[in-house]
Amino acid sequence: MHYQKYRLIIPFLLPAILLYGVFVVWPYAQAIYISLTSWRGVSGNKPFVGLENYQRLWEDERFHEALTRNGQLLVVLPLVTIAIALTFGALFTQGSQQIRGAGFYRIVFFFPQIIPAVIVGILWSYVYTPNIGLLNGILRAVGLGDVSTSWLTDPSTVLWAIAAVAIWSSVGFYMVIFLASMQSIPTSFYEAAILDGATRWTSFRDITFPLIWETIRTSIIYLAIAALDFFILIVVVSGGSTTMGARRAEVAALYLYNQAFDSSRWGYASAIGVVLLILTLLLSLGIMRATRRETYEF
Amino acid sequence: MNLELIHRLIADEASGHYSRRQILQRAAALGLSAPAVAALFAGAIPVRALAQDADNPLGVDPAAPLDVVIFKGGFGDDYAIYVNEKMYNKLYPDAKITYAGIQRLGEQLQPRFVAGEPPDVIDNSGAGPLDTGALVAEGQLADLADLMAAPSYDTEGKTFAETLVPGTQESGVFDGKQLLLNWALTAYGIWYSSSYMEANGYEYPKTWDEMLALCEEIKGAGVAPWVTTGVHPQYVRQFVFDQMLWKHDPEAMRNIENLEADAWKAPAVGEVLEALYQLADRGYLLEGWEGLDHIQSQNEWLQGKAVFIPVGTWLENEMKDSIPPDFNMVVAPTPSLPGDKIPFQGIFAGGGEPFIVPAQGKNVQGGKEWLRLLFSKEGGRVFAEATKSLSTVSGSGEGLDLGSAFASAQEAIAAAGGNTYVTRYQDWYKQFGEDVKAQMAELLQKQISIEEFQDAVQQLADDVKDDPSIPKYTAG
Repeated sequence: MHYQKYRLIIPFLLPAILLYGVFVVWPYAQAIYISLTSWRGVSGNKPFVGLENYQRLWEDERFHEALTRNGQLLVVLPLVTIAIALTFGALFTQGSQQIRGAGFYRIVFFFPQIIPAVIVGILWSYVYTPNIGLLNGILRAVGLGDVSTSWLTDPSTVLWAIAAVAIWSSVGFYMVIFLASMQSIPTSFYEAAILDGATRWTSFRDITFPLIWETIRTSIIYLAIAALDFFILIVVVSGGSTTMGARRAEVAALYLYNQAFDSSRWGYASAIGVVLLILTLLLSLGIMRATRRETYEF
Repeated sequence: MNLELIHRLIADEASGHYSRRQILQRAAALGLSAPAVAALFAGAIPVRALAQDADNPLGVDPAAPLDVVIFKGGFGDDYAIYVNEKMYNKLYPDAKITYAGIQRLGEQLQPRFVAGEPPDVIDNSGAGPLDTGALVAEGQLADLADLMAAPSYDTEGKTFAETLVPGTQESGVFDGKQLLLNWALTAYGIWYSSSYMEANGYEYPKTWDEMLALCEEIKGAGVAPWVTTGVHPQYVRQFVFDQMLWKHDPEAMRNIENLEADAWKAPAVGEVLEALYQLADRGYLLEGWEGLDHIQSQNEWLQGKAVFIPVGTWLENEMKDSIPPDFNMVVAPTPSLPGDKIPFQGIFAGGGEPFIVPAQGKNVQGGKEWLRLLFSKEGGRVFAEATKSLSTVSGSGEGLDLGSAFASAQEAIAAAGGNTYVTRYQDWYKQFGEDVKAQMAELLQKQISIEEFQDAVQQLADDVKDDPSIPKYTAG
């Protein structure tokens, strides 16, 4: 009986495992090996240098600065995105407490999600353009001309200007995830709560939030991983990987890219990649542990 | 019998670098039988592409396919397609040319180098090119010595090397070998609209003090005196700062390029930084310049929002669709500082748009032949007409009336006489170049002081110097 079961499972599983091995596991293994060399990336010559790249990385201030920015994003991105998405989600559901026109808003807020990230980036780079951009234009029109700045090169604004784009474009997605999860909560819970005199906020705090906690937890992990990457938007919005804006908003993944493609230090870049891999794994584990709590069956 | 080996032996013999006896010795060492080699030299085995006559001095295989990759940027690529179709294929109708005009060459071509299958000739220019330093260090570039010594394509009685503008190919020499050839003759300087200046009774200032005085006047008239791209601060760093420093004290500039100790803290460096800093400190830069990329800054300038802009000679072609009529853009050298060692006419000019022939290409001789055709009078004329830019072929711009930018660049280079230079440290040490440009932006955006700039950059230079993994180069 068991034998027959495996005869069926193995042929189905094998192609997937092979593909995974060739396109995921093997490149990881290669990257780990390359990180132990000083490969320049323009020939097959890969001199072995042991752990030297990691040693340099440990002392590399530019890498530390980049990681710090990742850390800032790690706190802000999940917090803000989930807060906004939850607010929208709650406003558009919660049984009879949902606001008017909820169906319309649900669709509109999801729009940014269907635009490819690169196009989102290009559009926002126009919004932020200093002299003819929409944002500074609006600021000047309402008399806030003093606030206007070169958003994408000003060291104090560039990272957050780009983070705002990320939040704008991903809120819709998480809103839909939360909506789906909230809609599976029986409306009778809310009706009972209303009878007991619950406000929107108390219904949310005591019914919605605990019941969709698993979904929120997963979202936190997704957003945390996105905060550890955050490469595409910086490159696209700032206009390129070696622009001043990109330099001032440089995160670890972008530093990796520049070390490889701009400075031909592929061994060093691979070491950054390996460190990022480890950090991502540790982070996911850490969040799983920290956010574990009782789940409710309903 | 290994035909490839025989080909190589014959090519060596034909190049004149080896005696026939050495060739026979090498043939024996390679395991070729003596009769086989003897038969070879006797012509008993017909081998293609041996005809090294006047029409084919590089011994190109007429039927071998050729793979050409060109950076399609400010100069477009019409001129390269012309060389493919109207020149190379005219000489070698049987050669099938694979052609690509692309951007960001590094990302696209690098895998081909690693796989050992690079194209035969590459215009390695634009943003994100292949890292020349890495290619040189890995021995990936073919020595162009035989091309330099070959007869010119359409200048009779001269070798290829003799037809090129003197001094434009030095940046392609690494350890005594010519490994890349610069195609565009580029002048880098301060651009302005001569019609605007005339209409307002302004004259281009010959000294920095006069420049600052003129800036004050322009600013008073409600126009920004200067604009440059803050997104790509290497423009102001190289075309203004480097140029002014070189004219002020060429020795100080060379020390910087050679990573000498405390080179960035020399008094000359401080004087030039102090002068340049006035642009930022006195508010002579267009508001919002920090956030403009090169195209945006050039557009602001074309719209008359600013008077001066530091760029290179590709400017006119790059902006050709948005230049107002009668704008008359011209280029000038940076104004002089008191005590300059190089006269005002000295200007940053030299070869740009580097072409390379990968050593592992399938048709190395074909790649060189393609360059011999491009770097000809005909190629230079086609390029000038298509792009309004000068090439490094001597006299390629003569007799062409291609507008004010072209004429002014030609005049500026002629007026400079031998006083031309271009810094190369940003190409040798790419990471360092990126770091210096970032510091330059910090300085001109008044985030750091001049001393802080000097300290930071000196530290970065020392880091490069102390890093044994970075190959070092020397400015002559």
